[in-house]
Amino acid sequence: MMTAVESWIEEPLMTFINDSRVRIAVLLESSGRVLAQHGFTRSIDVMSACALAAAIHASAAEIGRQLDGTPFKTMHHPGRERQIFLGELATGHGAHILLTVFDDATSIGLVRLYFAELSRRLAGAAAATSSAPPTLVDFESDLNRNLAKLFGRI
Amino acid sequence: MTKTPYAELLAMLSRHRGVVGSFVVSERDGLAVDSNVQIGVHAEAVAALAAALHRKARLACGAAGCGVVTFLRLDAEKGGILAAGRDDLVLVTISEARANIGLLRVEMMRAAKALT
Amino acid sequence: MSLVNYAAREITCKIVYYGPGRSGKTSNLHYVYNQVPGDRRGSMVSLATQTDRTLFFDFLPLDLGTISGFTTRLQLYTVPGQVYYATTRKLVLQGADGVVFVADSQRRQIEENVESMQDLHANLAEQGVDARNVPLVIQYNKQDLPRELIMDVSELDDILNFRGVPFHAGDALRGTGVFETLRSISELVLRRLSGAAAPRVAVGQ
Repeated sequence: MMTAVESWIEEPLMTFINDSRVRIAVLLESSGRVLAQHGFTRSIDVMSACALAAAIHASAAEIGRQLDGTPFKTMHHPGRERQIFLGELATGHGAHILLTVFDDATSIGLVRLYFAELSRRLAGAAAATSSAPPTLVDFESDLNRNLAKLFGRI
Repeated sequence: MTKTPYAELLAMLSRHRGVVGSFVVSERDGLAVDSNVQIGVHAEAVAALAAALHRKARLACGAAGCGVVTFLRLDAEKGGILAAGRDDLVLVTISEARANIGLLRVEMMRAAKALT
Repeated sequence: MSLVNYAAREITCKIVYYGPGRSGKTSNLHYVYNQVPGDRRGSMVSLATQTDRTLFFDFLPLDLGTISGFTTRLQLYTVPGQVYYATTRKLVLQGADGVVFVADSQRRQIEENVESMQDLHANLAEQGVDARNVPLVIQYNKQDLPRELIMDVSELDDILNFRGVPFHAGDALRGTGVFETLRSISELVLRRLSGAAAPRVAVGQ
């Protein structure tokens, strides 16, 4: 099941997942925050994957800049049973990163093919209307109570 | 660009009447090892999809107890896709309707045996 | 910028622990990791050298539970403190919703503290971020060390806290001040997110 933060992501990403047959797909901001994910069971695990993916992408891009001024945009790690593909997408909301994990149900050729298609679709995705900030009524008491519980103080 | 060992083979296949393009593709990766295609053929897409097709055919034949796939022919409205593989490498041609499929089949199967 | 999913009523905020090398940034996260139940945090990701110096970052995702009807998650990051990891610090700082500056209270580290604070503000400026708008809390760590080796909180505050932000004394190895620091920064971040006016700055202990 796929979960997405914003609606403009859902349909293109679902199409990508169905066509490419990847096991895991995560769309994230370049800062590491998840925008949509498919294949993870715990959202807290997605966050770790995103942090690492953002770091890998940022490092690779920086190496490219240091070499010849052009940041690298995609990366592929082939493993014996699973492979990772990481790619940068230019969307109407800025640059995002797609992390995918796949096995021999598909191939890097197919993943790249459908990634290119996803890129085209998201590049034209309409900007979301900006929302009012969430109303966090009396959040201090919730925050204090929840943190105290987490730290075993109540 | 460095010539691969398959350049002459692909050139030979592409000289056949009605052949629009030919590739050697890695079945596992879906990436073209070498290709000889006419302008307008989306080589990367065809390579990836043809490799996936061959893989499915191989698995289906295996499951059906038919043995190894020797030749794959996909007919479409305006032509077709032909594939013959050995181990991880698959030889693929895209043909128009006027192509001599029988001759291509013989040549591709012979060539596929030599793929390494 | 915090990520808000209105449909699922989820908020995710990124908090970066900044500061000079060996000031206790990673120790803060380790303490949080050890205190919080396993189902409320993810694995701690530590990209470190063989001698446990942070190489790229540490990362710890926390589930804060429901706050004002929103499932709230924090992404806690640390940056490598050593001077030559400047590029890495910039990358990790991108998109931070709040910063905890972990200062090393040792007297001999005062210049490193100042440089690191300047580095933080320079990196924010380079990213086009007005540092005055970024929630910041300072933790004066290692206050447990012998008195003759450290500066006291008020001395440090005079030098480092030119913005008058909340601050806390800390001993991250034993956990003193870690909870309070996290609470302060979470409060500031959520307050900013909800657009509420900032409270008068509370004096740290």
